[in-house]
Amino acid sequence: MRLKDKVAVVTGAAQGIGRATALMMGREGAKLVVADLQGEKAQSVANELAALGAESLGVAVDVASETSVKQMAKATFERFGRVDILANIAGIYFPKKSVVDLSEEDWDRTININLGSNFLCCREFVPAMRKQKSGRIISVASGIGHYGMRQFSHYAASKAAIMGFVKSLAREVGPDGITVNAICPGSANTSMPRQHRSEEEVLERLQATPLPHVLEPEDIAGSITFLASDAAKFITGQSYNINSGTYMF
Amino acid sequence: MSQVALITGGGGGIGGAVAQRMAAAGIIVVIADYEGGTAERVKGEIAAAGGTADALAIDVTVAREVKAVVTDVAKRYGRIDILANIAGGSRYTKRVEEFTWAQWKEVIDANLKGTFLMCREVAPIMQKQKSGRIINTASNYGVTGSALRTPYAAAKAGIITFTKSLALELAPDLVLANTVAPGPTDTPRVMEKESPEARKQRWWSQIPLGRTALPEDLAEMYYFLTTPESAAITGQTFHVNGGVVMP
Repeated sequence: MRLKDKVAVVTGAAQGIGRATALMMGREGAKLVVADLQGEKAQSVANELAALGAESLGVAVDVASETSVKQMAKATFERFGRVDILANIAGIYFPKKSVVDLSEEDWDRTININLGSNFLCCREFVPAMRKQKSGRIISVASGIGHYGMRQFSHYAASKAAIMGFVKSLAREVGPDGITVNAICPGSANTSMPRQHRSEEEVLERLQATPLPHVLEPEDIAGSITFLASDAAKFITGQSYNINSGTYMF
Repeated sequence: MSQVALITGGGGGIGGAVAQRMAAAGIIVVIADYEGGTAERVKGEIAAAGGTADALAIDVTVAREVKAVVTDVAKRYGRIDILANIAGGSRYTKRVEEFTWAQWKEVIDANLKGTFLMCREVAPIMQKQKSGRIINTASNYGVTGSALRTPYAAAKAGIITFTKSLALELAPDLVLANTVAPGPTDTPRVMEKESPEARKQRWWSQIPLGRTALPEDLAEMYYFLTTPESAAITGQTFHVNGGVVMP
């Protein structure tokens, strides 16, 4: 077990990549804080973990709210007394709108939830990691942060910004033994693409990758778990692409 | 059935650590090195630890030698699941105008041509198997460039893009190709030329994690790229460098 007795906080853990990550880390021996805006679903993933024999705590959190993130941190420390791993996975994709049609509210919402959450969560957990001179932070960005996407300028900007944030934080906290990295998934077999495409379209796109391998949430979770493990202790400030070969940066 | 890995430069610092890491996971490792004696030494260490290893001498820049070795390994084991191209390096640090054509070619061939020749021979075997993992070795200099190392940086940049192209060609047959890009790493070859104190002075303040890499740090990444968890990863470059370069 690669994460035995490590305490991991996973945001966006109710579904998709976040849920797969929480479950994989639990199987590797970690104790999990399963955090999501959808508190009931988070609790249900926490229950799945408990059934696997992993200690877990379900938490309802709005990662774009300073107060809510502080409460999540408080609940983490009350229950487990420490934090070793922070996986920033919570994020949103919509609305699909051209730049000229995008409202200020649309823009703020995407940037605050995708990027602001990284700042708020890291700010709460970094001090404890600094004190123990160890910690792993993994943030989910996106290939779209590299190559852009029409009608998703807000999303692309937020994901590129995560990579800039990760590099800067990696420089700040490296001397304290904390690593910070990003994972850039390609389009994965989750509910997210199904919010604006038909099932046929989703499957067609998932199968149109150079590698005939449908990208599953577990593929992304595998790399996040690797970066959280001892094996990755000398990796920091990097953004790794996991995408069945669709994009090579 | 155990997997079979062919590792060039397997007698060196990083290559030796990669061979040991894979052997510890139950992979049969074939250690190929220009200096056959170093390959034998790593083979002995692996055997002593209970692993299975084979050693042979190879000059990866000689096409017929590469072909003979790959044919022989494939015949002996019936398959090649993993190819880690780690052979390479450069013994020159000097200005571009001081490089002779022969020296330029020596560095390009040892790194880029050797990688090409090995991949050319092993890829068809993996395509037939409908599975395989190729892991090539670049350097952070392949992205940033490096004064006084023009052919080395050029060769390493070449490896990154060669690997992306190879990945696209081999993807339909479920053969994955990725690049590991080490930063400053404490290999015996490097430590011979520089005292630990001088090395610390030169590097540590530039590296966020506050030290240079150990070969074992790199070995973990090579090993990860052979596991089922990395089945969706191809054409990518993995920098393992303590944060000295963040592309």
